[in-house]
Amino acid sequence: MTDAALDPATVAPSALQRGAALARRLFRHLSFRIGFVIVALLVMVAVVGPLLHTADPTAMQMRFRFRPPSARFWMGTDALGRDILSRFVHGARLSLVIGLWVAILSGIAGTIFGVLSGYVRAIDSLVMRIMDALLAFPPILLAIGINAALGPQVHSVIIALSVSYIPRTARIVRASALVVRELDYVQAARISGASGLRIVLRHILPNSVGPLLVQLTFVFAYAILAEAALSFLGIGPPPPTPSWGNIIAEGRDYSVEAWWIMLFPGLGISLAALGMNLLGDGLRDVLDPRLKIEG
Amino acid sequence: MDGSYAAKPMLASKVDVANDGKTFTFALRHGVKFHNGKEMTSADVQASFERYRRISPNAAVLADVESFEAPDPFTFIIHLKKTNAVFLDVLKSPVYPFVILPAEQKDKPAREVEIIGTGPFKLGEWRKDSHLIIEKFDGYVADEGGKPADGLVGRKTVNVSSVRYRFMPEANARIAALQTGEADIISNVPRDLAGRIEGRPDLQVNRILACQQYFIVNTQQPPTDSVQMRQAIRAAVGVDDMIGAISRPAKRSHSMTIPGGEYYGGDINNGFYDQKNPKLAGELAKQAGYKPDHKLKLMTTATYPEFRDAILVLSEQLKEAGIASDVQMVDWATNASNMQTGNGGWNISSTSFCSNPNLGPQQWKFMVYNFPHVKNDAELDAAYDKFYTSLALDDRKTAWRVIEKRVLEQAYMIKIADIGVIQALNRKRLPDFRDFYINRFWNISLK
Amino acid sequence: MLRLVAVRLTHAVPVLLIIAVLAFLLMQLLPGDPAVLMAGDGASAEAIQQIRERLQLDRPLWEQLVSWVTHLLSGDLGTSLTLNQTVVSAVAERLPVSLSLAVVSIAITVPVGILLGVIAAAARDSWIDVAVMAIALLGVSVPSFWIAILSVILFSVTLGWLPSAGYVPLSDGFLPWLLALLQPAIVLALFQVGFLARMTRSAMLDVLDQDFIRTARAKGAPESRVLWKHGFRNTLIAVLTVVGYIFSLLIGGSVIVEQVFALPGVGRLVVQAVLARDYPLVQGTLLLFGFIFVLINIATDILYVVVDPRVRYD
Repeated sequence: MTDAALDPATVAPSALQRGAALARRLFRHLSFRIGFVIVALLVMVAVVGPLLHTADPTAMQMRFRFRPPSARFWMGTDALGRDILSRFVHGARLSLVIGLWVAILSGIAGTIFGVLSGYVRAIDSLVMRIMDALLAFPPILLAIGINAALGPQVHSVIIALSVSYIPRTARIVRASALVVRELDYVQAARISGASGLRIVLRHILPNSVGPLLVQLTFVFAYAILAEAALSFLGIGPPPPTPSWGNIIAEGRDYSVEAWWIMLFPGLGISLAALGMNLLGDGLRDVLDPRLKIEG
Repeated sequence: MDGSYAAKPMLASKVDVANDGKTFTFALRHGVKFHNGKEMTSADVQASFERYRRISPNAAVLADVESFEAPDPFTFIIHLKKTNAVFLDVLKSPVYPFVILPAEQKDKPAREVEIIGTGPFKLGEWRKDSHLIIEKFDGYVADEGGKPADGLVGRKTVNVSSVRYRFMPEANARIAALQTGEADIISNVPRDLAGRIEGRPDLQVNRILACQQYFIVNTQQPPTDSVQMRQAIRAAVGVDDMIGAISRPAKRSHSMTIPGGEYYGGDINNGFYDQKNPKLAGELAKQAGYKPDHKLKLMTTATYPEFRDAILVLSEQLKEAGIASDVQMVDWATNASNMQTGNGGWNISSTSFCSNPNLGPQQWKFMVYNFPHVKNDAELDAAYDKFYTSLALDDRKTAWRVIEKRVLEQAYMIKIADIGVIQALNRKRLPDFRDFYINRFWNISLK
Repeated sequence: MLRLVAVRLTHAVPVLLIIAVLAFLLMQLLPGDPAVLMAGDGASAEAIQQIRERLQLDRPLWEQLVSWVTHLLSGDLGTSLTLNQTVVSAVAERLPVSLSLAVVSIAITVPVGILLGVIAAAARDSWIDVAVMAIALLGVSVPSFWIAILSVILFSVTLGWLPSAGYVPLSDGFLPWLLALLQPAIVLALFQVGFLARMTRSAMLDVLDQDFIRTARAKGAPESRVLWKHGFRNTLIAVLTVVGYIFSLLIGGSVIVEQVFALPGVGRLVVQAVLARDYPLVQGTLLLFGFIFVLINIATDILYVVVDPRVRYD
């Protein structure tokens, strides 16, 4: 990059200041604070948990089947005598990894389609019709279809869910692009010979970041719920993978006698989705109060 | 088929078998009515057999048929090209049943026949995923000359107007339905949930041990194409953990026949069972040239938790022996289809057999060859040939012992346990219901 | 008005076509050979080949696509591989179940969701607002299958108040029908109620901030009248926008709820079709869901005009 305006030396201070101001405003927002604490806790569980609690999440001990929560097994054991805490901790990691990847992938792909559609008018109609068509399939159904095609693996769950949420992110970026490209100074930049790529990078993307980030936070929450649902239906990551949905699916027959098997992962899913939704609410209120994004 | 799984005539009054084991003459009962009101004759029987030979997946069992013959309306004769000592036993197959349909149905493709039978119940309404209703067939003609009801044969009287099967995939929902009186009888109660029902005096729990669960090892897929590798896997297996894990009633047994059956051979092939020897497994795997980066592919399904759980335990036991594996979850249809075609790159899968262990070696043959994809095993071929052509039962028993030994020794299949199903019913409402491997709703009253 | 309907329908044609192609392509990615599956246990190679020919699975992809679209145009969605009936009749058979579930669920969602949203907006920033929004937030965060299982344990297994599974057709009586659907419909509605309440609240807050509301209040109009007549009527547009999305959520949610409550609906049909790799059935049901969704969106657009005559489509 030879462009002086993109030189970090000149951009960084103001960006830093703006970031700090934004963070202060966000942390004054109650929902954001609560969401942040929940998500931070779960991230800690997912990152540090496997290091502290070293029990093998797939190791079986038949003599310890269906043990209720105790000092030895904090969350009890399942039908195969596996330690639920250990499976919970690994499940947290998987859920967050899947949510994060889905948010990243659908964010990137949605941005590409949104920018193309909003900036290159010639293909706008086609791209948006394809997005409309994709949008016509309920995400979980589309994911079921794609996942069945690709085989039940972690990466196919990520791909399937990412595809399902692309239309939503693409629409948001396109909407920003449409507004920005008509602004006077952008028109001026174009007339003065700025390249399309430059306009996209300098003007369209920065203006889409806010709404996109809000949307992606909700996508993150839905991806966690959808992954759990896919696992529950038997088309998620295969056992013995300790995913929250798998633990519930494997424990659902014993929900009366061994309530702990499905209680903890259910709480985990709910908390993770709740935390992300709260973060999203806070981001939305602060970044763009007029925004009506709901996933 | 009677209560001890022996072949018995039902629509025929008797069967004559020629001394050479090649000609079978069936004297059909007079006055047997189809559900459409028509009387059954030998033409219907012949048409049904011809249809079976043409479109049944199990058609190979009729490969040795030279001709069918219907000399008069109530006589049907089957001529074989070569001796088959157990041909009548072949006909009792419940997996691909020989059903007699009206002759007009003979050209209908597979799965497109109208459901018109000769039994005491006729089809009422069938809604996929919801329910199946069978109704009392008023035109049913009981086998008056026959013995009292026994197994699936004998005199049958229907005292209920209809039976409604509801399909409820969730075990909790099934049990709740029985507890609240929504259902009179439920099947497939997970072992660990039976306690919920056992406490109630009006409800009864039946444990019916009629199946056997195995690991099937694919002989065409490296590295399990090597016999040492298969034996290594067998050496790693400890069945007690598997019996503990599967939520079914289960009993240790090394045999491919249910104890008490005609062909049960005692402890003779006991040595291949429950070796629980990870060290030996590691050595055998090494001899087979196994490298730890080559993961075995274990294919299983969540449709049947007992298959999945056995595979998950196996995966851990293999790990202990230094053999790495990946579990691949598919739906049951894919699992079954891959098991038969050998597709999908699987090394080991698990399944259970519910009729073969009871019905005898002739029903086993297809599975023994087809599932592990056994090729060029002269010893097994010879033993089966001897089995089919031996008219004396003792010779057939000897042949079966050789077959059983070969299958277990080569680790084509690895026996896990004899397993069963738990059924529960409302004793007050169904006082004279008697359990069998399949539910029978004749000769019972509903209170 | 007629012209509006015509314009919207014309706009929908390319989308419908793309949906058809997507539904077709998606299923081409599926692994496994349906012919082998259909032929059943241990079928001979000839039997498998016969089935393959009968279903034209041996023809090139584009030929299959052309034949798929042509058949579509004549209302033929193909024949299920596993059910021995046409896709249309299989779906038609199960549609009453899913529709019943949708109707009961919507009948719960719309009044409850809107009411909660309006209450929260009216009591802005009070503890009532916080409590209502917390409930709404839980609704969109708790996985429905988990709540469904817990609910069965409580209401069916422990208390024995509601049937645990199965469907009773409307022809067997209104009460048994409703009773069988009540539990799944409530579980299904939880997410949509939360979603709708959150939407309604923020739309209401926007409207309540505006001048004409202040004027109405200044003129001494009773608060309830201000809230409903002036406030809520003007949020209808925003609420209508999400109706299509709520339907989409409903269809997606019904897949899971029908599974847990063993309701023989279209959602269960599609899951089983995927598991059995019943290509035509998956295609047909996905397509149908897509079409229904597009039609609902058209209906919503038209409703806009009815609700707010300022909106024009040209």
